[in-house]
Amino acid sequence: MDRFVRSLVVVFALVGAAVDGRASQTPPLQMIDGGARLARLEHWLKAVALHDPGAVDDWATLVGSWTSEQVGVLWIDANLLVQIMRNPSGVGFNVRPEGQSRTQAIRYTTVQLHRMRVLACVAAGVVGDVRCMQLKAATELDDDLRRVAALARAAQSAGDGDNFVLRRGALLQADIAMLVSPPAEPIRGTGGLGPQRISVQTSDGLALGMGQMATHWEVGRMLLDHVRPRAATRDDPGHDDMVRRWYRATAAWMQSTEKHDTIHLDHAREIFPADPDILFLSATQHEVYAGASIQGALRSAQMTTGWKFDVTSEKPELRLAEGFFRRAVAANPDPPETHLRYGRVLSLLERYADAARELTIALAGTADREQRYYGELFLGAAETGRRNFDAARDAYRRASELFPEAQSPHIALSELARRLGDRGGALRELQPVFAAAPDNPDGGDPWWHYFTVQARNVDDLLDELRRPFKAESQ
Amino acid sequence: MKPLLAIALVFSCVAPARSQAPTFSTRIEAVRVDALVTDHGKPVLGLTAADFEVVDNGVPQTVDLVSYDQIPLNVVLALDMSESVAGDRLDHLRTGGAALLAALKKEDQAALITFSHIVTLAARLSTDVAGVKRALDAAVGIGSTALTDGAYAGLVVGESDVGRALLIVFSDGLDTVSWLTPEMVFETAKRSDVVVYGVSVGKGKPDFLRELTSLTGGRLFEVDKTANLSAIFLEALQEFRQRYLLSYTPRGVAKDGWHRLEVRVKRRGTVKARPGYLAGS
Repeated sequence: MDRFVRSLVVVFALVGAAVDGRASQTPPLQMIDGGARLARLEHWLKAVALHDPGAVDDWATLVGSWTSEQVGVLWIDANLLVQIMRNPSGVGFNVRPEGQSRTQAIRYTTVQLHRMRVLACVAAGVVGDVRCMQLKAATELDDDLRRVAALARAAQSAGDGDNFVLRRGALLQADIAMLVSPPAEPIRGTGGLGPQRISVQTSDGLALGMGQMATHWEVGRMLLDHVRPRAATRDDPGHDDMVRRWYRATAAWMQSTEKHDTIHLDHAREIFPADPDILFLSATQHEVYAGASIQGALRSAQMTTGWKFDVTSEKPELRLAEGFFRRAVAANPDPPETHLRYGRVLSLLERYADAARELTIALAGTADREQRYYGELFLGAAETGRRNFDAARDAYRRASELFPEAQSPHIALSELARRLGDRGGALRELQPVFAAAPDNPDGGDPWWHYFTVQARNVDDLLDELRRPFKAESQ
Repeated sequence: MKPLLAIALVFSCVAPARSQAPTFSTRIEAVRVDALVTDHGKPVLGLTAADFEVVDNGVPQTVDLVSYDQIPLNVVLALDMSESVAGDRLDHLRTGGAALLAALKKEDQAALITFSHIVTLAARLSTDVAGVKRALDAAVGIGSTALTDGAYAGLVVGESDVGRALLIVFSDGLDTVSWLTPEMVFETAKRSDVVVYGVSVGKGKPDFLRELTSLTGGRLFEVDKTANLSAIFLEALQEFRQRYLLSYTPRGVAKDGWHRLEVRVKRRGTVKARPGYLAGS
């Protein structure tokens, strides 16, 4: 039952580009107390290193309590921290948040810049280097920062360069987004500091409300953009396995909990354009967007001026899904589930013969009962579209035999009978539906969780992502 | 069976046998159309067959039968029992349903379908109105909304017995989990004689119910709150009782496909009826 109720609420992120040029209600960065900003960055750096991956510990709770505006500023300062790690003598800094066309120039006072350089020494694990010694960095660290520096230095020694803070930072931000789940805030004006995102919460196919989201995912993505795999001389996250695992696991988590974020997978594909798992999840994301829950919410939502949805109507979303499934099949033709969902989308696009072909491939390749159920159900729909009514009926019957309590095959059989003019048959086919026990709401029909089941391996993916870091912590 | 079985809609006849020719049976289906005639918003009563003109795909037809308020009703309630229907809303729904059931005549039949993500026939079509009310009292909101599947089930149950079928669909949300697409249910509605009245509560845009009620010649009530559900249900029932049932056997038109209908009265008045029907597969 919990699983079903949880799936009633859908949250998805929206493109927060400043499309109306309206003045920001957020004060300029220079107006924000620099001391407090750097204190937060310092706390964040400690949290990055000392947080236990996968746990809701004090560090995750602390950073998770920051407002969306504070996290927006963190995105800027963490970005600049990485820039200083890589270019310690730099004095001028620019940032450009995802989804925004403008670059923001960032300046620090001399005192702030010194502190940033000290923190960069810590983050890069190079407190003992000549440049950091000249800064007297080691004398300005408390116990926690010394621990952070030691952990970062250990990562350096293990051959991972200065990636420590990038990887751990992305893990922390993901854990905050997934486990702490900071609540949405009232929407501020567009054009604020750092990336801006709002979410639409839906229930029963209706948009319930919108809110400003703290951009923890954006901080995580930004950090991983700077990862340099072993022996690389420049940022190259596309050749880093941990970055790949991070995107696979987090994108799967978003789909399993129906907290969709288009930009997350858009960015993942920029880094991993031919990764079959990321292409598969991109396709399923748009397949979900084409579904009734999201489409209904889209129609009922009143968008705040200056923002725009990054979800379109059903057919364009299906076409996007079709394109990604095609690429996923080309990248890896083995998984039956890719063929299965590709077939469903083709059927919804009325390409019934192509759909039947893909579904037949899927059915030939899987013995999994639930996957076979979906395959037979979708094959029934494709054969109905081809007007092969006997084949459609047979497919629906096989689906029904796989899950006798499921109502969808019986409703499909009823509709097929009614389509053929058989009123009595239509009523007869509904009898098993009517006879089903209504006190078994989470039982019967796998169709009810079709739009999340593609991410059923999310726990394994997250475990695989966190395991090396948990071992490192121990 | 119902007293007016004489208007049974399907006629069977056997083609005369010819030498060496195969024999087969064919069926000529009478078409029936529920029509509401109003003049300045008020129902026009007392009309006869001679007052109506029915045009099927551009071909005028001879109306065989007109009846009014004589044929027992099959009233099917298809009610959204998803999680959002709770508290006052559920109380209002029960009160509204009870008011409608109390207004039925003793020969009328009623049925109750509830839908969350599960579609349930809570009470079969019968004259046991008290049983339907008991089922309504026992229903609780849980889960999400299979509005499309629920409406489809309502159509099938509505046409499962002779009599004039009124399907009242209530929902406070939009579909999230149905197997059937809206287009599939529209196709079924085009093949059905059931008239659908819809009640949509809340800020959602009830595109599905709007189209479904339009295709069946019914009506959609869009309301912000459920406090007046009793009045709405009774208004739907009253309006349905004031409709004429026209019946004709199509002549001069192709059997299969979409038949566009025009129903007019020869005197002053506005006619509301389904815009057509679908025959064949």
